[in-house]
Amino acid sequence: MISRVFRYVALVAALVFALAPVYWMLTISLKTEVDQFASPPPWLVFSPTLEHYYDAFISRAFGQYLVTSAIVAVASTLCALVIGTLAAYALARFQLPWNLNRKLSLWILSTRMFPAIVTAVPLFLMMRDLRLLNTRTALIVIYTAFNLPFVVWMMHGFFADLPRDLEEAALVDGDSRLGALVRVVLPLVSPGLAATAVFCLIVSWNEFLFALVLTQTDAAMTLPVGIAGRVTQYEIKWGVMSAAASVAMVPILVFALALQKYLVRGLSLGAVKG
Amino acid sequence: MLFIAPALAVLLSLSIYPLIYSVSISLQQATASGAWTLDNFTRLATDDFFLTAMAHTFVYAIAALTCEFLLGLGLALLLNKQIRGRGLFRASLLVPMMLPTVVVGVVWRLMLNPNFGAVNGTLKQLGLNTENLTWTASPRLAMLSVIAVDVWQWTPFVFLVLLAGLQAIPQEPYEAALIDGSSRWQTFLHVTLPLLKPSILIVLLLRTMDLLRVFDQIFILTEGGPGFATETISLYIYRTAFRFFDFGYAAAMSFVLLALTNVISAAYIRLLQGETQKGT
Repeated sequence: MISRVFRYVALVAALVFALAPVYWMLTISLKTEVDQFASPPPWLVFSPTLEHYYDAFISRAFGQYLVTSAIVAVASTLCALVIGTLAAYALARFQLPWNLNRKLSLWILSTRMFPAIVTAVPLFLMMRDLRLLNTRTALIVIYTAFNLPFVVWMMHGFFADLPRDLEEAALVDGDSRLGALVRVVLPLVSPGLAATAVFCLIVSWNEFLFALVLTQTDAAMTLPVGIAGRVTQYEIKWGVMSAAASVAMVPILVFALALQKYLVRGLSLGAVKG
Repeated sequence: MLFIAPALAVLLSLSIYPLIYSVSISLQQATASGAWTLDNFTRLATDDFFLTAMAHTFVYAIAALTCEFLLGLGLALLLNKQIRGRGLFRASLLVPMMLPTVVVGVVWRLMLNPNFGAVNGTLKQLGLNTENLTWTASPRLAMLSVIAVDVWQWTPFVFLVLLAGLQAIPQEPYEAALIDGSSRWQTFLHVTLPLLKPSILIVLLLRTMDLLRVFDQIFILTEGGPGFATETISLYIYRTAFRFFDFGYAAAMSFVLLALTNVISAAYIRLLQGETQKGT
């Protein structure tokens, strides 16, 4: 009995600890400046206002950052999915010589372990020479490369779980390899494909370092960089910051909840099939 | 093979080529003439900022990893039971780890603000003197603050992976331990821990890699400050390259970081492979 009480107390404490800070930011985004600086801080009772949201997304450039973030995330996810799924399918189905399958997939995975800062310096110089600084193209290309190993690794797992009989029937019926992949195999792994896509969207949406290094203009900046640029200034508009951060958080939370079933598998790179 | 070609092309041009390019930057850009030299690497040994940033990185990684592991394991053990509301609990714990790090930064700058932040506000209501608790602005507390924020964000991840690992353990060894009359502690030590070891190694590996290269949270919370108090190696590389435009030296430092993460991940993977071979 005591251990059960203890268990629930620990759980509730962990819950409050995890959620209260986020809730606090949400309240700041909805409070007038008077309430923001009130002491003791009002957690529950204050008169909400949407002025900070209006200020951030209509009066300031955060609406533009939001659009850039969305375009970059969706475009890079699509590219990574197409290229990565093809590669994963080949790795799962064709036996390459010299045990290349295993070596290739390990190598692909190891590129994922690179610290981002290691490639940030050369990629910045490359993009500068290509005159791609402050463009969405640069971010889309880099995020595609960033997500690619993950797509290959995840989809390889899903393909390997699938029996070969169905696609072989399609091949006998005269379908090409690509035709069999698109018409027979992909529909069967579509839940896995969707989960992988959502992971890529989250990673691209959240990415900070490359966006910080490669974009400095309002037209090219993503939402995280836009927020960070304002946070580190001297006089900070906390309501505006909180409003922008709250909006940046919403798609992620929706995605993450939709993805719960695959979350552990994805985050541990397929190592744990939770 | 045709199917793999696009993927290989992308990875070669955007992962492998940049690395090679980076080697040449690190060897050439020490002097204005662009002659090949090892100056950028010899400079590392005498650069106090570099050594301090390395030390900060290790302190950060070890402290955060220890806390996240112990808390995550504790929570996983507590929750590896049928209790009401587990789904809700799992879903809520996902929130911190999925947030964009920039949002985590904003959240905790608000929480830890000395004047109107909720942390000091709450402490004040409990009757504590918060005058000296300036958190991220204090040289003494800044490191503690950034570590605590990392623990807040990533303990749920450790918890989720370990919970998945616990649930994959079959019931039989526990029944055997019960018949042997083992105590709960002995059962934990001789049954749970060995069977959980693969999951533990994986989660430690992934966290260690992320901690050693930490950049975003610290950049937004403190920018490495006050002074140099929370400057980790990734931040110092960033500052060297993009504030001082010393790309050659930044590239040289980044290879030290790369070598370090490679050695550590190789060690983990060797342990892990030993583990899976024992299992089969």
